[in-house]
Amino acid sequence: MGEFGGWTGKTLRVDLSNGRVQIEDTIARYMSVLGGTGVGYRVLWDEVPARTRAFDPQNKIILGVGPLTGTGAPSGGRTSITTIFPTVYPDELVATGHMGGAWGAELKYAGWDNVIIEGRSQKPVYLAIVDGKVEIRDASHLWGNGIYHATSSICQEMGADTQVAAIGQAGENLVRLSVVMTGFSHSAGGVGGVFGSKRLKAIAVKGSGSVRIAADKKEWKQLIRYILSIMGANNQHVVPSTPQPWAEFYAPGSRWTARKGLFWGAARPAVETGECLPEDLNRMGYRTAKATYDLGPNAEKYTVRMGGCVSCPIRCHSHLDVPSVEEKYGFSRYAASTCVGWGGRGFFKSFPDGARGQSSIEAAVVGAHLAGDLGIWTNYSQLQRDFKYAYDQGLIKANLSDSEYRSIPWERFEKGDPGFLKEIYTRIAYKQGEFGAALGEGSGRLAERWKFPPEYYKEPGTSWWKMGHPKHHSSEEAGQTGVLINMMYNRDCQCHSHSNFLSSGLPVRILKELAARLWGAGAVDEDNNITPVNLDKARFAAWSVLRKELHDSLTLCNWMYPLAASPLKSRGYEGDNSVEARLYSAVTGDRKDAAQLDLVAERIFAMHRALTMRDMANMDMRGRHDTAPDWVFDYPPDKKPFTPGHYKMEREDIERAKDLFYQVLGWDRKTGAPARASLEKLGLKDVADRLAALNLLPAS
Amino acid sequence: MISRLGLPAESSRRGFLLSTLGVTGVTAALARAQKSASAPFVILENSMGILVADSTRCVGCRRCELACTEFNDGRSQPAIARIKVARNYNFGPRGQGAGLGRSPGEFGNFRVLQDTCLQCPHPVPCSVACPNDAIVADLETKARRVDTGKCKGCRLCLEACPWEMMNFDEVSGKATKCFLCDGKPECVEACPALALRFVPWRDLTHDTPVRRAALAALRDPKSAGCPACH
Repeated sequence: MGEFGGWTGKTLRVDLSNGRVQIEDTIARYMSVLGGTGVGYRVLWDEVPARTRAFDPQNKIILGVGPLTGTGAPSGGRTSITTIFPTVYPDELVATGHMGGAWGAELKYAGWDNVIIEGRSQKPVYLAIVDGKVEIRDASHLWGNGIYHATSSICQEMGADTQVAAIGQAGENLVRLSVVMTGFSHSAGGVGGVFGSKRLKAIAVKGSGSVRIAADKKEWKQLIRYILSIMGANNQHVVPSTPQPWAEFYAPGSRWTARKGLFWGAARPAVETGECLPEDLNRMGYRTAKATYDLGPNAEKYTVRMGGCVSCPIRCHSHLDVPSVEEKYGFSRYAASTCVGWGGRGFFKSFPDGARGQSSIEAAVVGAHLAGDLGIWTNYSQLQRDFKYAYDQGLIKANLSDSEYRSIPWERFEKGDPGFLKEIYTRIAYKQGEFGAALGEGSGRLAERWKFPPEYYKEPGTSWWKMGHPKHHSSEEAGQTGVLINMMYNRDCQCHSHSNFLSSGLPVRILKELAARLWGAGAVDEDNNITPVNLDKARFAAWSVLRKELHDSLTLCNWMYPLAASPLKSRGYEGDNSVEARLYSAVTGDRKDAAQLDLVAERIFAMHRALTMRDMANMDMRGRHDTAPDWVFDYPPDKKPFTPGHYKMEREDIERAKDLFYQVLGWDRKTGAPARASLEKLGLKDVADRLAALNLLPAS
Repeated sequence: MISRLGLPAESSRRGFLLSTLGVTGVTAALARAQKSASAPFVILENSMGILVADSTRCVGCRRCELACTEFNDGRSQPAIARIKVARNYNFGPRGQGAGLGRSPGEFGNFRVLQDTCLQCPHPVPCSVACPNDAIVADLETKARRVDTGKCKGCRLCLEACPWEMMNFDEVSGKATKCFLCDGKPECVEACPALALRFVPWRDLTHDTPVRRAALAALRDPKSAGCPACH
């Protein structure tokens, strides 16, 4: 056991080109960036040449797990997979795919904090890690198989309790929209093809060791109980979705859906979700009954239970048993997912029995199996939106040969037949024809290849944001704060710090009170009434991004943390801004308060920025990178910004928002690039020097 | 007889003894055991309580395993947790052979089975297998616990448990098992889905499928006392 708890102290580095396996000292090399995505950025910055493309052998994959994963820190079952991302457009730039499950925890028990994959194997392989023993094993018998069978086969070879992260045929075939998946329903988007490019089918882990907690047992238990007491439901929604006797408020959009009379109807016997009082920590697992939330009331009778990641008391993955799927389509009747869209449904215009009827549930399950087994990423449902857009605009017909177009049974699509999904997903996974090859490229390359009209990039209905990815909780939820956050990343921003707080279900009056203590009351607008930007909003945006980076590095779930609000009326619904720091300090023994840990997050985020600038070979982040699509400013056309009832933004105001955001982080106002002083403050003099050598450091 | 009787919640220590062996049997066995120094007494009083698990409610978060090891051992280590979910999580107790959707578990029908110590009645396999008499009934709860002062780390108890509920702690070099956290099980407190309960003991050995054939034979000198009752 090392000096610190939390970390195992060892990072595994595997070069698939020559089979070399090396062990690195995590503390010496990576403690300053914690773990997870922080390690990913550091390795890419130090080791991967500028302008490397995603499928080049020089690209590296960093599966980063932080000091909290593997412990009982609630909602700490995450893994960050950082690499040069294939779906970023037009330049391929740094980004991270995130997965939950139990893979990251198992890696820690096996004695490893991170796995760095380098090079390219000559033949298909998988990596087998059993505690300290690491083997690169032949995977020729697995190649060509889906994720389910690959996982099952590896478990046959290594033991049924092995945690496997694998790619499907999509990843093997270098489909850009592909995933790495673990534990049946936990997938990291965008990174499957990078595994495939290295001929790496899977990383399988079994661990019998431990993660040490530095704090004494009593202190650790108290901290956990305290944090549980201020957690809400999925997405840290803190009020119930229906009126409850114990609750002062309710909000129909809340994921705290448990109530009397709502069951896990396919459990044998059925289990009532029932009344889930905030104080009752033994019922937290029932709070989020999500199948009915996502799929409608008919999903109640199909719900076996809820599930999710190791260590998380909030269960957000719906587990369904839909017998008709097996009978009608030949797929397993059992499927699990946490995605609101459940993949498959979103391709269809309509279903014969309505949007929330039986066909829609069957489409959800069929889609989950196809995407999950073939390993296809839907890019936050942009794949579905693009498909529908291209179909409606006649662009599929225009870009396919007649014979290929006719080979697709469009009448089944028109009828809303879930079996049609097999046509879509299979063609994408195997890059069949123009249809499959183009759709799997991701939004940016697809739109270019099929010559989407300029309107595509300008209409809110397409959800296009920039660089090949859609909006993810932007202006429609958080005004300028949402816009700023969406601008900062190369893929969709995957940030929930802001939306969890604003969608917690609490009335604006209380949100303003809580915001006043964290960023200033001006961070929150009245419902449907956006006001011009102010410093509070920029602080809120910076906090949101830094906490996301912190979570992706510790590794905690950014769908639950930060805990800015709580369900407890006795606390005035206040959460606790210091819980991440308290968990970190207790587990590692490296005592840091919230401000100190936020500074580490700032260091990590600055690395992301530096990498982006390096690989874009451009310092003008303000003009070239931190952009928003036209619809943000132009819709609805008949409204003026800052009038009630819509979320139309104003271009000048967003430029002011950038000024304020850059100011908060000490970045150069003109370019949005980190200034030397701010980098040196973060201990990144080496990064500043390198940027200067590349002429990417602002003069100020 | 054991499984037929069941146990009332208020059972006294004497009540456990009575229901297990009957008055005559206990008295006679005690008397004989006291006379024979060469035949160690292998009968443990029955546990006062037992953990029972409801697999329809288990959500697979494994907070029970984490609470077990973190609050007892100060580290997270599911491999030595005295409640076991991880090993059944993917495919259930029988592995992946049945095929996708055909077994319990996450890759099956979603049922997650939690394995708990049965706090076995006589003969207690882990205890009778121990050459050092290191597995004893707790003075208060009568849960079978490892006396770490006596345990020499031979791991025979791991071979003896048909339910594979014994663990070996490589850090301490000792065996470790469920001792019901002195009457307040951490796993029960930690479960977010009410899938675990701590209830008065009853014999579940006949109702719980074994995971493997165990080393069952009693060796001398422990077996020397067996004819006294059998």
